[in-house]
Amino acid sequence: MLWRRITFLQLAFGALGLFGQNANSRWWAWPANPDPQAAERGKSVFTAHCAGCHGAKATGTAKGPNLIRSRIVRKDVDGSATAALVRTGVPGKGMPPVPLADPEMKELVAFLQWTLQKYDRVSFGVPAETYPLERLLTGNAEAGKAFFSGAGGCTSCHSVTGDLAGIGRKYAPVFLQSRFLMPRATKPKTVTVTLPSGEKVSGELRTINNYDIVMKDSAGQTRTFDAQTTKAEVQDPLAGHIALLPKYTDAQVHNMFAYLWSLQ
Amino acid sequence: MTRFGVIAGFLAIVPLAQTQSPGEWPTLNGDYSSRRHSPLTQINKSNVGQLTQAWKFRPNAGVIKGTPLMVNGVLYLTVPDHVWAVDAATGRELWHFNRPSRGDRIANRGVAMYKKWIYFGTPDAFLVCLRADTGEKVWEAPMADVHFGYYMSLPPLVVKDKLIVGISGDAADVTGFLKAVDPVTGNVLWTWNSVPKWGEPGSETWPSAEALAHGGAMTWVQGSYDPDLNLIYWGTGNPHPVMNGAERPGANLYTCSIVAINADTGKLVWYFQPSPHDTYDRDATESVVLIDGVFRGRQRKMLAQASRNGYFFLLDRKTGEHLRTTPFGPQNWSLGLNRRGEPIPDPKKDPRPDGTLFLGSGTNWYTPAFNPATGLFYVNAAQGVWSLTYLSAGIEGEPEDHQGGREAPLGGGESSLLAIDYQTGGVRWKLGYGNAAGILTTASGLVFTANSGYLVGLDAENGKTLWKQNAGGPASNAPITYQLGGKQFVVVSVRDTLYAFVLPAKP
Repeated sequence: MLWRRITFLQLAFGALGLFGQNANSRWWAWPANPDPQAAERGKSVFTAHCAGCHGAKATGTAKGPNLIRSRIVRKDVDGSATAALVRTGVPGKGMPPVPLADPEMKELVAFLQWTLQKYDRVSFGVPAETYPLERLLTGNAEAGKAFFSGAGGCTSCHSVTGDLAGIGRKYAPVFLQSRFLMPRATKPKTVTVTLPSGEKVSGELRTINNYDIVMKDSAGQTRTFDAQTTKAEVQDPLAGHIALLPKYTDAQVHNMFAYLWSLQ
Repeated sequence: MTRFGVIAGFLAIVPLAQTQSPGEWPTLNGDYSSRRHSPLTQINKSNVGQLTQAWKFRPNAGVIKGTPLMVNGVLYLTVPDHVWAVDAATGRELWHFNRPSRGDRIANRGVAMYKKWIYFGTPDAFLVCLRADTGEKVWEAPMADVHFGYYMSLPPLVVKDKLIVGISGDAADVTGFLKAVDPVTGNVLWTWNSVPKWGEPGSETWPSAEALAHGGAMTWVQGSYDPDLNLIYWGTGNPHPVMNGAERPGANLYTCSIVAINADTGKLVWYFQPSPHDTYDRDATESVVLIDGVFRGRQRKMLAQASRNGYFFLLDRKTGEHLRTTPFGPQNWSLGLNRRGEPIPDPKKDPRPDGTLFLGSGTNWYTPAFNPATGLFYVNAAQGVWSLTYLSAGIEGEPEDHQGGREAPLGGGESSLLAIDYQTGGVRWKLGYGNAAGILTTASGLVFTANSGYLVGLDAENGKTLWKQNAGGPASNAPITYQLGGKQFVVVSVRDTLYAFVLPAKP
């Protein structure tokens, strides 16, 4: 999958450096994760009593402050300070008392803490599968079609009635947009190694770096070569897609997306 | 012989009271210059290929991202919440300190030493002082509030009689700072806020006091110090919300900046901004490396940074005057340079709701190195990485979280060790299959780092591999070197183990 590509390159920019690699070893400032079911119920309490002023996601509106950044909420590990404030309100600042029963109050606090933690945990990440189609659908499908069969040169490998038939319904929209630019490889990379003797050996590439070349040869054997004394030529089935990236304008990306998404 | 091979002026105020012996590694990056350059020459180009493991130390406490110090034959090593003192000759544990805490545990980069004390930062943003001889706690002091996501990943920088503390953790839209702390009492002597208060100089580059108060600019990679100029140099982090620049029109000072701070007063003397109005998390916290040398025929005091935005910057460190700005990889987001030599971001390449095709290059926290003999600046970097970037905004365009966007990586780039000629900014040579590892250079013309998943020793002139060691993965910290009992050691961690290498005993 796409994530597998993210090695050193993304470390340079932080994707796994901050998130994936260390996800298990990270602690957060709160002693326990709030119960997600209580948080879910608390969401309706929040929506009914608080969202009008504090916003649906508790990030504030002109009428009420951002609760994610609230000192009271952040420091309230057991929920008691929040509960006290909700019950008494803030006289003079427009916040009325909200007399919630204990179970509802607990759920409200769970929702606030869950929302807060979710906010803090967001890092450099990929968009969610649910990323809305309407945000992506800004291009012109006809122009995308023209690019597909013209400047893009896509028809030399692909056909919208063959391998790409129905491509628009195969993936979540936001993934479709990444995937047509850089698909998951369906075939492995291959490598041809030229030995010092001049002999050439070809196979499926397993590993290549400055020191080692590992391949599975045509007989199915795993073979290792010294990269310092041999010459390697790698054939990447995605080379065409990589070569195309610098040729796209943003408009062409969105046109192509509109076209491919239309292939339902 | 000078202890670090540094500019003579540095020696007068080396932050340690102990008798100085050549070949120690007394600060995170070896000395104040962040060059990570050692004067040791026992291990050289002709014998480095024989390096062999002297010992290993495996504390069984997760990945060792901390780079140890070596003073008086003792190594001081960290992972979050833990410090070990280890016999530098044998790898034997001398003491262990553990202080469980809550907070972000992504990394601890090491300790600082002042007189007979050791200092380290914690996941709950405390600075802790230990006795170097026993590991006993002397004091601890909060540097920031963990409830707002602050934590400490880097050790203080010891400057004269002060500990200069940087801070990590920006998930809650907080702001960064540097603090000078009294090493004896833990009292804060001055604070420099890395974004100004509303009305102060620099605040005109922000739309509102509210945006400023949540502006980011963490200080989470250790800076440098020039004793002659009495200036501290530090890189600062990106603005917030990270990818939603519409929330904060303007250059957003002093985010993504290199700043020069007076060590006594904590006042800003000059700044340079590698990424004005950043919308791509391209902070400028990377090492600021001090270089004394010739530029355009004139001897100068300079400073260099290979920045996360893919540019190599060379500045005059007295004035902040820009001398050289050169990209070290392709990008598609810059319209060129402004009069100060800072890249001008193309607003058309900002993240957008329908996705922006983004091409970038860059590096990150893993420390670079500079070798004055070759004039080369060594950095592990990524070049030409493609992604689609999305602005994730609510109905009214407001950021949905502190990130304010998402990024779908596409690939297409390569990672390499680059050797950059500081005078031209050009890449003189590169070695592909680079790893996210720190770098060390030596006066014997060697470069130590990780490459292709191996620990390697390279010829500093041309990148030729002279030694490689499979230790089960690339380095997870930055290599150091020291001399003890007549032997030069190279010490580096791979995953959860610290390894020491030496030349084999003569038969």
